[in-house]
Amino acid sequence: MITTVGSHYRAGRSLFVLTVLGVALGVASVISIQIINRNAVAAFEGSMEAVSGDADFSVLGRSPSISEEIYPRLLAHPAVAAAWPLYRVTAALAGFEKLYVDVIGLDFFAPVEVPWRNGSADLTAALERPGWAAFTPALAADMGWSIGDSVRVFAGSKEVWLHVGALVDFQQISPLASPKMAVMDISQAQHLLGRSGRVQQFDVVLRGGADVEEARKEMQRQLGPGIQVVSPEQRSRQAEDLLSAFRLNLTALSLISLFVGMFLVYSSTQASLVRRRVEFGLLRSLGATRNQVFGLIAAEVAILGTLGVAVGIPLGYWGAKAHIDMVSAALTNLYLLDEISSLQLPVLLFVVAALVGLGGALVGALIPALDVSRRDTRALMTAFTLHEKIGSLANRLVIAGVVVLLGSAAWYLIAGREWQHAGFLLGFNLLITIPLITPWVIRNVTARFRVRGFGPGFSLRNLGARLQISSFAVSALGIAVSMLVGITILVGSFRDTLEVWITNTVQADVYLSPASWRGRGEEAFLDSALVTSLGQQPGIQALDRLRGFIAYTAGDHRITLAGIDMGLPGGQARFKLLQGDAKKVHTLVNEQSGVLVGETLARKQDLWAGDEVSIFTEKGLHSFPIAGVYYDYNAQGGAVFMDLTTMEAYWGKSDVNSVAIYLDPGLDPDTVIDRLRADLPLETLEMRSNHRLRQEAMEIFDQTFAITRLLQLIGLLIAVCGIALMLLVLGREQLPELALYRSIGASSRQIFGLFVGKGLGMGVMGLIIGAIGGIVLAMVLIFVINRAYFGWTIQVHWPLSELTEQALTILGAAVIASIYPAHKASRTSAAELRREDL
Amino acid sequence: MNTPAPRKRDRSTRQLRRTQLGFLVAMAIVSSSLPVNSADAHWQHARPDYRWDFPRDHWAHHEFRTEWWYFTGQLTGSKERRLGYQFTFFRIGLLGEVPSLKSDWAARDLIMGHAALTDLEGREHRFSEMVYRASPLLGGFGVYPDTLLAWSRGPAGTGETWRLKWNGNGFDFSMADHHNCFSFSLQTSAVKPKVFQGPNGFSLKETQSAEKPAAASQYYSFPRLRTRGEVIIDQDTLLVTGESWMDKEFGSGMLGEDQVGWDWFSLQRDDGSEVMLYLLRRKDGSISHGSGTCIAADGTARHIDVSDFRITVTATWTSPASGATYPSEWRLQLEGQDLLVRPLLSEQENFSKRIEGMFYWEGAVSVLDASNRKVGRGYVELTGYGEGRMPGL
Repeated sequence: MITTVGSHYRAGRSLFVLTVLGVALGVASVISIQIINRNAVAAFEGSMEAVSGDADFSVLGRSPSISEEIYPRLLAHPAVAAAWPLYRVTAALAGFEKLYVDVIGLDFFAPVEVPWRNGSADLTAALERPGWAAFTPALAADMGWSIGDSVRVFAGSKEVWLHVGALVDFQQISPLASPKMAVMDISQAQHLLGRSGRVQQFDVVLRGGADVEEARKEMQRQLGPGIQVVSPEQRSRQAEDLLSAFRLNLTALSLISLFVGMFLVYSSTQASLVRRRVEFGLLRSLGATRNQVFGLIAAEVAILGTLGVAVGIPLGYWGAKAHIDMVSAALTNLYLLDEISSLQLPVLLFVVAALVGLGGALVGALIPALDVSRRDTRALMTAFTLHEKIGSLANRLVIAGVVVLLGSAAWYLIAGREWQHAGFLLGFNLLITIPLITPWVIRNVTARFRVRGFGPGFSLRNLGARLQISSFAVSALGIAVSMLVGITILVGSFRDTLEVWITNTVQADVYLSPASWRGRGEEAFLDSALVTSLGQQPGIQALDRLRGFIAYTAGDHRITLAGIDMGLPGGQARFKLLQGDAKKVHTLVNEQSGVLVGETLARKQDLWAGDEVSIFTEKGLHSFPIAGVYYDYNAQGGAVFMDLTTMEAYWGKSDVNSVAIYLDPGLDPDTVIDRLRADLPLETLEMRSNHRLRQEAMEIFDQTFAITRLLQLIGLLIAVCGIALMLLVLGREQLPELALYRSIGASSRQIFGLFVGKGLGMGVMGLIIGAIGGIVLAMVLIFVINRAYFGWTIQVHWPLSELTEQALTILGAAVIASIYPAHKASRTSAAELRREDL
Repeated sequence: MNTPAPRKRDRSTRQLRRTQLGFLVAMAIVSSSLPVNSADAHWQHARPDYRWDFPRDHWAHHEFRTEWWYFTGQLTGSKERRLGYQFTFFRIGLLGEVPSLKSDWAARDLIMGHAALTDLEGREHRFSEMVYRASPLLGGFGVYPDTLLAWSRGPAGTGETWRLKWNGNGFDFSMADHHNCFSFSLQTSAVKPKVFQGPNGFSLKETQSAEKPAAASQYYSFPRLRTRGEVIIDQDTLLVTGESWMDKEFGSGMLGEDQVGWDWFSLQRDDGSEVMLYLLRRKDGSISHGSGTCIAADGTARHIDVSDFRITVTATWTSPASGATYPSEWRLQLEGQDLLVRPLLSEQENFSKRIEGMFYWEGAVSVLDASNRKVGRGYVELTGYGEGRMPGL
């Protein structure tokens, strides 16, 4: 078998390479996305494991922090063997942009596993020396720190010096833990970085033999609904739920690449069979049965598939590794989760890769293999005439395509709307419609061209005459282009919508927030005295304060809760309302503890103006009247805005997290920022002008979709390979025909032109089919998938220049892809004309 | 329908982890039992001319690194049930001062509690323990003249509080551990006055040298405390009476450099006299230092030197939990008398599940004369035996 593969390789290197490449690229895209998906959750689990060790469950607040007074109650529970508090603060490293350390305050005398057995910890210093913290050796090496160094960090508007007291490898406990982690005694953490009397979490270990779930439920009952008692599994599930839409979208995109890859395998298998048809004819005439021939082909494809998998896995790993920062940035920006710091490669992924690669290759090869094995010996030994069959099927296929398309649309309108995943089925059906209608399109388009010599018309007619081969290449390209166009329209529309929204909502001149604030409810506060003195600076007309954190609704839905100064003059203009009258909303929110609900939450939870939303406050569950719904592009499941006074009434008084500054008319924000920096102690804070903030928001947006664009490119690359492959097949199949052309005087240049024309023709047709498919796909993405998963309102915009650029690139790529096959075909000599071909 | 089996906590994993976990606590305890060196500048050292000030000195002395309040006794309960008990609060100094941090977790001490109950009829020994940082939420030490000397949350999962109070003529203390199915609440009053151990309560643990302060402690005892109260063991609630011994010791270095542990005896004789003896051992088992105090029935105390008595081990017992082999019977020759000290139960080892390497034998004994007649009772403490142990407190 290996020898046959070897001979296969020698007989057609390019075919061999393209088959393996088709499988490899498909596998690579699936694998890299699966690696990324798994590791996104693993990063969260890794940090959780490093912090909580083998705790049976964690006790968390449904507001940013919990009172440490509940600790004795936890310790008193009969099933508890040990419990300990955790104080978690994000600190920004001074002098670095967006470099954060997760500082964890532990009770050093609680039974927590800390791997500092090597005597590196000086106990007295850990308790007494201000800022003593244990850092990871990896971070210390990166930053060039050693024991005894002092590190300046910002926590809220506080500047704190941390002392590198010990280097502790937390990755010993949990290899996936972030290296950007520091551990200090809880007394120091509360004093230096946070608040006395509050903690973020308690971890609980149960006694041997205790029923974990029973104890968890009982403790939950005792502590009341304002506190969550969650097992590590539940916490991972929460992170998984949070990421599910993101992960599902990436998986769907990677599967499209695989789908396109299958076309490539189909084409290459067919090409190889065309080349070797005489060989199979001989085998059959020597007594080989149809099943034996089929088995031989299947085994060959399996070996090629295995090679593809072998190449695809490292390629996928490399792809994931190369793009991990991109995805990690998206995760931290969108979902406020831990960044991915290292990659884990579970064995299961290899199994998935093998199944996907081999399965894809075999499915791709199935039709041509069946076709060859079913032919009788005589047919195999004579010229190949595949096109007839598909040509006669074209009409039936197009009808099937239209039925699939209209059927899915009807199904969606009648019954599918309730099902969250309906959009993916619609998208998939759309993509399988493409190969169904392609032969009909090619036949009808090419038939309209008149042949005048060896011109473009002849190239196109030639494509129409080789429908079986050309329609697969065009289909593959059409699918890839659909994906490209669909996503380009989606991203372009989203980008434009967001830009308009940001322009409307980002109205203040200068935005100020602590460098350590990442909006996930860390206790990163602006000192109130600083805010007051800021308000008294010349040139400042008004301050709009914001306090934000993660909260939970009655249904345990995670939301971003923000309190702002609603009473500011003109304040109502800060929200672009989807529902509700601006003036009434303003009064209700300002005076009657009403809230504004973001569109995402409104759609997901079916909460609209006039309803009430129940949120866990520090005083228990409270229902707030919904004054209106505003357009919102939050990825975390929703946001709720209220007045700061309402927030203070239910969550207690606290400093705020950020401030928006309105300047006197005519003042230049950048000049004011420079002046404020010179006059006030603002080093710990980030100040952004309106322009800069908008720009950053758009940068985050682009970063988020970077991985999507990468997947598009892979799909396109596979499709372009498909064109090259098709032309090689045609070149091979048409050998006698080309020899005939040469014998009647066609120059090799003309043959070359003929093939480049074919490549271009396939490019154009793929583009046309893809453009139509892409537009429909964009609508499915915007109005079905987006609504079901995110609930955003996206206005459709046509990114024409980008689409044009892409079209030209694809055509260029089609031409480039056809150069090698054209060159090969042009070298056909008249001497290759055989008697039986005439 | 199959219901999934409820997830149970795996005991072996838990134990493995937890022994690793108490490392810092262990480190604190080890450092507090090590010899004093010049680096520990903020701790005061025990000294011969310490100015005692009672009752103030019953309370905590934060200027010393280690301190304990230690009670042992044999009790008789209703239905003639005989019991032995131990109750100890340890203060382990971490810092000289409470760090000036805005946090309730800012602490200068650890508080550790050990309690044991030996059912001499049922021949069973139970041990309970806890250790926390001294903080308003978890435990701490009282301030004179408030009657509370020390308090702490009980072991996790019990929901109880352990307390020790000065009642003007003795001490009241209580503990409970439902998981080990025992609790006691005892009130004591001094039958005999307190006695200083060593001249002026200065108990030297090694030979003094000019270079550094010698290991020593300030040490006094109440050799006979009338005791009554309530003991709950399993489902039985017993009203108990009996006699206890109380030791209070504080210092900043309790063992000499070459010492690994001690054998300590507190014996109450039926004639109304008492004797306290201790021997400090080196790693090879040889005696490094020792002394004692003989207290007459009228309360007069006489300090004796290691050369004044002779202790010979006549039997040993090996603990299945720690693997340590402890002496288990002694011939005591003192002032012309030949006595036999015999444990009332061999299995009286306190084995910590909380702190790796912490185990010691603390048991009720009876005192027999040459004709094998019972002439007294008492308690013996044996520390520093076995491999992998940390120096005892």
